[in-house]
Amino acid sequence: MTDVLRIEGLSKSYSAKPALFDVSLSVADNEYVSLLGPSGSGKTVLLRLIAGFEQPDAGRILFDGNDIASVPAHERGIGFVFQNFALFPHLSVYDNIAFGLVNRERDPLTDENVLRSKIMTMVDLVGLKGLEDRGVHQISGGQRQRVALARTLVSQPRIVLLDEPLGALDANLRTRMRGELRRIRSQLGVTFLHVTGSETEALAMGDRIVVLDNGSVGQIDTPDAVYNRPISPNVARYLNCYNLFEGAIDGNAFSNGVHRFPLKGALWPNSVPAYAIRQDLITVRQSGVSLADGEAGLTATYLASEYTGAAFMYFFKAADGHIVEVEGHLSHRAPQNLDANSTYQLVWKADEALVYG
Amino acid sequence: MTTASQSPDSINKFAVTPHVKSSKASYWLIAPGVIWMTLFLIVPLGMMVYVSFWTQTTFKIEPVLTTKSWEAFFSSDTYLSALWTTIRIWLLVLLSTFVVGYPTALFVGLFIKNKTLSTALLVLCVIPFWTSFLIRVLAWRPMLGKEGAINIILQAFHITREPIEALLFTELSVIIGMTQIYCVFMVGPIAFMLGRIDPNVIEAARDLGASFSRIFRTIILPLSMPGVVVGAIFVSVMVLGEFATAAALSGRKVNMLGNIIVTQVGSLKWAFAAVVGVILTILMGLVVAGFLRIVDLKREL
Repeated sequence: MTDVLRIEGLSKSYSAKPALFDVSLSVADNEYVSLLGPSGSGKTVLLRLIAGFEQPDAGRILFDGNDIASVPAHERGIGFVFQNFALFPHLSVYDNIAFGLVNRERDPLTDENVLRSKIMTMVDLVGLKGLEDRGVHQISGGQRQRVALARTLVSQPRIVLLDEPLGALDANLRTRMRGELRRIRSQLGVTFLHVTGSETEALAMGDRIVVLDNGSVGQIDTPDAVYNRPISPNVARYLNCYNLFEGAIDGNAFSNGVHRFPLKGALWPNSVPAYAIRQDLITVRQSGVSLADGEAGLTATYLASEYTGAAFMYFFKAADGHIVEVEGHLSHRAPQNLDANSTYQLVWKADEALVYG
Repeated sequence: MTTASQSPDSINKFAVTPHVKSSKASYWLIAPGVIWMTLFLIVPLGMMVYVSFWTQTTFKIEPVLTTKSWEAFFSSDTYLSALWTTIRIWLLVLLSTFVVGYPTALFVGLFIKNKTLSTALLVLCVIPFWTSFLIRVLAWRPMLGKEGAINIILQAFHITREPIEALLFTELSVIIGMTQIYCVFMVGPIAFMLGRIDPNVIEAARDLGASFSRIFRTIILPLSMPGVVVGAIFVSVMVLGEFATAAALSGRKVNMLGNIIVTQVGSLKWAFAAVVGVILTILMGLVVAGFLRIVDLKREL
């Protein structure tokens, strides 16, 4: 696989406030990369820089090995799908998809038959058959998403940038469109760079995930690696499935003054020491039972639970005031009856925790 | 379980009760408007049509039905030319307010990204309204006159040798005055529609490779059409009924239908004034209906 897009040391500030700092990454041909970051992490800025809507302060963007700093947005061969779709409200589905081919400055398509066949192929591919004469206000949100995608894909860009493309859809539609996006992408062999604030979306969609952390790259890896081995406490936090403790390494234990967890396994280098344990790796036991060898744990007061269908989320308050979340999957754990305001022992295997320091 | 089965009922009750009440109350809400419009619009309009068929003699008017006033209008060159003047001035002012107003609206509504600034600029457009209408009209005399500001400046810069006399007391001066007065009614609605265009839509069109002139023709202009139509209706209704600007800036040389009505009422020719009034009303009705056919405002706004 060759890199179609390379970004080297990209930085951008808005009125002296850095939005992106020294971002480097590469995207291979025919790859699905998801870009995860909380709001304000600079993910939309990065996308707009790649698209050419804005100019970087420093760094280079290489497309097929060529610096595209001086190439205007529409000549970059990069498609952009907007968060709110930005369809042309006065045009039909057909005319929306045809817009780029007909109206582009460089070699517009004038042959009505070629145009029609190209558009109908695209309409079929994205599953809009029979809707091409409708106005874009007469179709559903998911269908509008498909129009936005088709409108971009029909010009055959090498890369398509998607800015939170599923953000405007309701939950069950979002799940269905995830599969559709992957299918359409692999059918065309085009590279997708998909920005999202949702960790489940990022994990489900990407061949690789780029986690943005305060304007810098936090981690770039496969979904599996990012999920199981987040490289820093911040990345772990954005994944939304880890309990994090800050503290210090104290001999062969991690301590935050109140709790002490024995250390097993390797330390991940990080400037701020932190201890992370995934929510679904914690077991809840009656208090008073001492920990077995190789186990770590803390006592905490049970607060409440939340039923999420396939799982239960239990919320505990640890002695240091920390809220600890425990996820119990109902497929391999029966729902536990816990008494509110009673104390329980939360236990996990010491070597399953991630320790940064 | 009991709470669960009750809740849909209680929701329904809440949804239905205020609805029933409000539909009765809503009739009372429109009553003042209906009474006002009936007394001061529908009845006078009916009277106007009725009076236009009364018999007018030099000193009095009698409710004896006749078509003499109508025949007089359509057989007189003076009155038919006033009708033509009205239509001509209306079309020219419509064109000039559009030509001046659209770029202004484009700047205010689309190119100024800061909402506060664009609102401030729109308010700036309305500032002339702080002066009375007549003063604004009359202020054009020292501007356009033979010894007026424009002629002085043109001569001072040696652009013209002699003062241009055609600037004042001609149809041109009437059109200049009306353009200035009514332009803002064109700018406002267009700027409003342009301000509603999602900037991402324009960015998307740009990203798909369209040039600015293409984007203007295929996206911006069509999306602002409802604003153009509303602005055109405002300007048309006001210009068609005009008489003061025409009188003040043409030295009574340019006579529009409005001026005819003023003269006829002044000489107590009520029946004839009513005829002109009916014709003017029909003309406005046709113009407004025509504009509404161009754009489906209910769908667009």
